[in-house]
Amino acid sequence: MHWEDLEEYQALTFLTRNEILCIHDTFLKLCPPGKHYKEATLTTDQVSSLPALRVNPFRDRICKVFSHDDVFSFEDVLGMASVFSEQACPSLKIEYAFRIYDFNENGFIDDEDLRKVVLRLLNSDDVSEDLLTDVTNHVLSESDLDNDNMLSFSEFEHAMAKSPDFMNSFRIHFWGF
Amino acid sequence: MAQPLPFVLNVPEIPEDHDREPSPYDESEVHDSFHQLIQEQSQCVAEEGLELRQRGLGAAAPGTSGGGRQALVGPEDAAAHSTATLRILASMPSRTIGRSRGAIISQYYNRTVRLRRRVSRPQLGGVGRSARPSLRLYDLELDPAALEEEEKRSLLVKELQSLTVAQRGHMLKGMPLGLAEKRSLREESRTLTGKHRERRGRRGLFPCCGWLRDTCVLALHGLGLWLLAGLHGLKPWRYALKRIGGQFGSSVLSYFLFLKTLLAFNALLLLPVLALVVGVQAAFPPPASPGPVPAFTGLELLTGGGRLTHTVMYYGYYSNSTLNPPCVPAPDGGQCGRETDGLPYNMPLAYLFTVGGAFFITCITLVYSMSHSFGESYRVGSTSGVHAITVFCSWDHKVTQRRASRLQHDNIRTHLKELLAEGQLRQGPRSVCGRLRQVAVLGLVWLLCLAITLGCTVAVYAFSELMIQVRAGSGRPPGLWAGGQTPASLGMGPRNLILKMVILGILCYHWLGRRVGALRDQCWENFVGQELYRLMVLDFIFILLDTLFGELVWRLISERKLKRKEKPEFDIAGNVLELIYGQTLTWLGVLFAPLLPAVQIIKLVFLFYIKKTSLMANCQAPRRPWLASHMSTVFISLLCFPSFLGAAVFLCYAVWQVKPSGTCGPFRTLDTMYEAGKVWVRRLEKAGPRVSWLPWVHRYLVENTFPVYLVSALLLAVIYLNIQVVKGQRKVICLLREQISNEGEDKIFLINKLHSVYEKKERSR
Repeated sequence: MHWEDLEEYQALTFLTRNEILCIHDTFLKLCPPGKHYKEATLTTDQVSSLPALRVNPFRDRICKVFSHDDVFSFEDVLGMASVFSEQACPSLKIEYAFRIYDFNENGFIDDEDLRKVVLRLLNSDDVSEDLLTDVTNHVLSESDLDNDNMLSFSEFEHAMAKSPDFMNSFRIHFWGF
Repeated sequence: MAQPLPFVLNVPEIPEDHDREPSPYDESEVHDSFHQLIQEQSQCVAEEGLELRQRGLGAAAPGTSGGGRQALVGPEDAAAHSTATLRILASMPSRTIGRSRGAIISQYYNRTVRLRRRVSRPQLGGVGRSARPSLRLYDLELDPAALEEEEKRSLLVKELQSLTVAQRGHMLKGMPLGLAEKRSLREESRTLTGKHRERRGRRGLFPCCGWLRDTCVLALHGLGLWLLAGLHGLKPWRYALKRIGGQFGSSVLSYFLFLKTLLAFNALLLLPVLALVVGVQAAFPPPASPGPVPAFTGLELLTGGGRLTHTVMYYGYYSNSTLNPPCVPAPDGGQCGRETDGLPYNMPLAYLFTVGGAFFITCITLVYSMSHSFGESYRVGSTSGVHAITVFCSWDHKVTQRRASRLQHDNIRTHLKELLAEGQLRQGPRSVCGRLRQVAVLGLVWLLCLAITLGCTVAVYAFSELMIQVRAGSGRPPGLWAGGQTPASLGMGPRNLILKMVILGILCYHWLGRRVGALRDQCWENFVGQELYRLMVLDFIFILLDTLFGELVWRLISERKLKRKEKPEFDIAGNVLELIYGQTLTWLGVLFAPLLPAVQIIKLVFLFYIKKTSLMANCQAPRRPWLASHMSTVFISLLCFPSFLGAAVFLCYAVWQVKPSGTCGPFRTLDTMYEAGKVWVRRLEKAGPRVSWLPWVHRYLVENTFPVYLVSALLLAVIYLNIQVVKGQRKVICLLREQISNEGEDKIFLINKLHSVYEKKERSR
């Protein structure tokens, strides 16, 4: 990697130099040999099977949100790592968390999305309907401020601002494995 | 309680709308699609007639939320007259925020404008203010979005140029755009300033100077980045902590982070003491004491006595005079004068002020980090919203091991069930008998623990009295205060801490009260220092034994004998309380054994590696989910309140009230240690007011009690004002919530009206 590219990536993302170099190494290992790293792409499956994302129940959504046309270029991977890094600012994390949790991509987290989120969190097939309905109703009654039965971005932001654990838990280390 | 009104359902796609004018959702940079939105809108438009009627029902029971979902009204009717409404709805600010490049650009344009006007950058809690772009920029909704976007983009570039480099960099990093987009923004906002520099550069002597200067600037910038990276990498144990976090989650990680914090506090305490007291005394050793000096055997490291008594380790070694550099006789054979070279170094004063100053700095740092941690983990109104937080924030994305992730799934399920059960309990009838029974059981358990504590205390006190009578001042007592140590794996948690703190309190009273009298002719400070050193060594040995038996042996037993695959849990609370206990011992002993923080640092480093190895090999993460941020606040608060406060009280009493021993140490001729300071101030006074303003400060601010009352009154006033402000903010939050809910109803009303207007237009056509 050229020094200017490295500097540029450092200026545009929240990653440190070491992290960028590690991601670069991993990317080169996974992409087909012979191609320059700026032109190579990885498939969603390849990125989903990275150790950092392997056991994440939301890995398909994460890959969908950060990829372009279902492939990852090097810069897409960097963008993803930057959002999940420790130094990222809260607004950026909340922004992408909203996109990840919005399963049906209608710009809102509605009842359907919430049910899917809870099912992914519990990761089992025998979840009672009552539990799902209860949890969904509680979440909406707590966070839905304008009573439209959906969480808009502002409402989601407001709910996450109340929780200091959000920043702590919304972190993935894409390097050093 | 919110009355949810049905708003969305799936509807088959309407193909016609895709041929309309370009909308924000057509762009390549956006990661989402909007066809679902159109489907949803057509359905909601079809339901709006029904919704008007539902609103009229007013405060319906929550059950209507399920029954409110209406069946599909013929999609053909819905499609025919709703495209205009749909287009307007699709470009509503709340639907396009963060979804389209145009919206992101205008959002960030607003932010940079605000930044330039010197409004403080909104914190996490205030981000919501900037989430909606101002309506002013959205009044041209129905115009082709592409043209407007170019305008907004050029405005954003202009704004970025007027920021400083650091602010621009931070703003660029935080934008939720693709890297290519950010790069072009950066290029554009840099080129113009580059051109300005070039124009200025042409006025210079040679054209190549500009190139040289640019290269130098770039090289320096690169060096700066490299240094930053180096500093970042110097943080100890970064990789180990990441592994622990990945395997066991944030709760176990909080223990190791607390260990790191304690290391930092000890380093903060050690550095001034080392530089100003220990180092100087080691450079100018006092005259050798009479009598034979015992040889160094390895046992001193365990008992703290023997050879170590005659080193800088303990208080007794320090001289009570002013240290002068050794005088070198003048080359022409003259005598060395009184105050020839170098400054005389007043050892007693240095000792007192260094220890006092180090404690003061530690106090300020501790209070600051406690309030910072509290501020991070507590938000006004954060006790509500527990369900949302559990659903969205409880999955720790750091975790990379399958076993740990399975554990997380289980934890979340248990937590959700508990939350729901709690909610039901609160709603259900409360039986008086059941509650009384609960309270009675809890009270009984606490009484039992307090009784045990009292018993142990009395035993320790009686034992120490006995020791005084039995061996009046000869040799060393077998001071194995093992009664104070109970293994953490007994899981007694806070009651264990109370027990240890009470026993420490008894010991302190014993030392300062009784031992001083008993060891009148000997160095009682050395004795206290040695006792504390031994307590620290014993603490370390007990932690090792606890790790060995509690974790390793338990795992072997459970795997081989009981044939269970379960490893023992890592007891976070017990281990943290052990750390706090060890730190209390250090703080208690710093006055009497200035090198005790160094011993504690060595102990903590060993502890880190031992605990990490044992954790990786033998343990699993705890079952009950812990809120990591709340836990770190609790740890720091426990460190501040019983631990540091007690040590500070002990120190103050020892400095102000206790007579130092007459045979050793830097305060041997004085009545109290504090007198060293007083003597110095009197000397300054005698030298005259022109020498220094310190005596005036001492007389009117320190010895006078009026300033203390004034400062306390001011502090109380500030605290009261802050409480009132928080109360006011709570009220404002309630009002804002009501306002938002009213706005939601307004929105529904307007959408219905809009739809009916378009419907009438279509019918009249």
